[in-house]
Amino acid sequence: MAHDPKREDYQRLSLRFAQGLDGADPGVAMRAFASFGQRFAQDRDSLPQSDADRAFHLVALATEVVDYRLPFATDEQAPELIQRGKDLLDEALSLDPTCYDALRMRSSSEAPSVEARYRVLADRADEVRAYCEAARDEAASSLEGERAMLAANIAMRPYWRWLASLAEEALICGRNTVAAEVAERLLESDPTDSCDVRFTLAYALAKLEDETGLARLGERYATISPQRPANDAWMLLARAALAHKRCDLLAARDLLAKLLEAYPTGAGALVRQVELPDGEFSRLRVSPYSEDELILAVSEGIVLLQEGSDRSGRGVLGSWVAGTVASLRPEAAAEAMRDRGSEGAQKS
Amino acid sequence: MNAWDELVERCARRRREKIGPLSEDAYAELVLAVREDPASFVDDPTEAALLVLAQALDAYRASCRNDDLLDDAAFEAERRRRMSALRAESERAAQMAERSLDARLLALLAQDLDPDPLLGGLIELEREFGPGARPEGDAWEDVFYRPRLRLRAAVARACLDGARFKMAASASASLVDVAPRDQLGARRTFALALARLEDEKGFDALDARFDRRGDAWSHLARVILLFKLDRMSAARRALRGYEGLCEGGAYALLRPTYVEPYLPDRPETVPGSFEESMLAVREAEPIIADVPDFIGWCQGFDWLVASAERFARGRDLDW
Repeated sequence: MAHDPKREDYQRLSLRFAQGLDGADPGVAMRAFASFGQRFAQDRDSLPQSDADRAFHLVALATEVVDYRLPFATDEQAPELIQRGKDLLDEALSLDPTCYDALRMRSSSEAPSVEARYRVLADRADEVRAYCEAARDEAASSLEGERAMLAANIAMRPYWRWLASLAEEALICGRNTVAAEVAERLLESDPTDSCDVRFTLAYALAKLEDETGLARLGERYATISPQRPANDAWMLLARAALAHKRCDLLAARDLLAKLLEAYPTGAGALVRQVELPDGEFSRLRVSPYSEDELILAVSEGIVLLQEGSDRSGRGVLGSWVAGTVASLRPEAAAEAMRDRGSEGAQKS
Repeated sequence: MNAWDELVERCARRRREKIGPLSEDAYAELVLAVREDPASFVDDPTEAALLVLAQALDAYRASCRNDDLLDDAAFEAERRRRMSALRAESERAAQMAERSLDARLLALLAQDLDPDPLLGGLIELEREFGPGARPEGDAWEDVFYRPRLRLRAAVARACLDGARFKMAASASASLVDVAPRDQLGARRTFALALARLEDEKGFDALDARFDRRGDAWSHLARVILLFKLDRMSAARRALRGYEGLCEGGAYALLRPTYVEPYLPDRPETVPGSFEESMLAVREAEPIIADVPDFIGWCQGFDWLVASAERFARGRDLDW
């Protein structure tokens, strides 16, 4: 599950609100809490909150703008949205200079290259970790029970998101060993993988052609994500890539068929192979096994698809995937090719 | 591939087999005689096919020499023409001797295919011709075994171009095992594949195996490997090394140029020459493309850019 900043914003304030009610008459507390939802939605400023909470709220607003509205904006709307996102993040940082989500998103939009983006994330990861762990320890010692657990979890999330971004940037930079190491560091810190970094890890292992590592990751799913088996688009595409790389085309084709079983409407996405900007806050929220999820996986999978000196411009694996999907699902593929053709015609 | 030398050696060896044991001196005499007029010693279809290939390769290489004078369209047309001429001659040779692996290999390579169909064709050839009886010692010494080595080297390069790096590494490894002196330069493909796989241990072992002599391929592969592992000071030092040890290395990296496909193998070059730098950069292209900011990072070093510019001036090249 990808991170949801609106939900996290709510969790932060409700936690603080509940703390404030401690010691109050239970009836009063109950009534007060019943009104929390309404106040959160309509009169947020009347709720107790720290500058860090306010800053995070601005991050949630910025995420809405840059991750969920900007991709659908027209060319005329885009500059305003980009500016609005920047302003919100700058304001967040002025309220809380240690708002690492804002810092990460801000520096990512300013970095002139993927290398520069990677560098910022890599160089400051230890600092973010130290800060978040201290916040976690403080939360754990000042609270009790479930609240302590939730507060500790919330305290760590900026670090987890930092590492998830770092792993993805490392993969884009062609630093696959680093990507795998960072993903493992994140899994160690967050064993239930709230960031789904195992998807990035699957791609890094496929890039390193580490068959054993990828097979082991498949087995580890049982403990990492008991609710979700290892048949997500990332894992299946990573395995298909490895089968293709070892020239086991039957197995690779079989894995593509499995992928189309898991994502029945996904043929078009596999033929089009569109690269989208990554979510700035975190991987975008989409439903498991939805077409949107496959689109994200394919977009992140461009690093695998577009490798090799293939004159089609799609990469060796990319051409093969498009061709094989076309033979498995001829009608859907033909439609996707028509869309692709008309997009190309519009551009030129 | 020096087809004439191989033709001479093959003819001389066949003749010796026929006439029985010869003293060293007598064999040397025989080789001289064959060299004088190879065609008259051809008495086996495979050598007849090789003779056709030798002539076709001469014609192909001669036609490459005038490329500088052509504009882009004329160059492309000329390139197509000579490739199809070479292909036609290779196919003719293959018909003369169905066991001429070199003819079949050249006919396939001259089609200038994308990596996937090319690899498919190469693997098909490997199946058809089988592994053959492996000669004792360095397999390159057996002139009749060389076509198999060339095929393997082409497989390794097609794998590298086609993003199959483990396969590229294992094909190269098998070559340096059977032919340890590595006249075909499989270690070069090997080094690039190991860099892409970020296999530092394997890379170091390979470097040690060839006494750390290094060449444009290994110097460049080391820079890419260290960059990928995010060991940036070491990568910078390795880039310095590449720039200093490979003639025109900086220019080749910053201004990559078109390199003719290898027909059937990497052309012979002077060690440390600019030509080697160009070939190394061309072969590294698929792995450089996978490190999107690599060239940008290289360009950030003034000394590298200055070196490239100096080289361009000295050679009267575009800058």
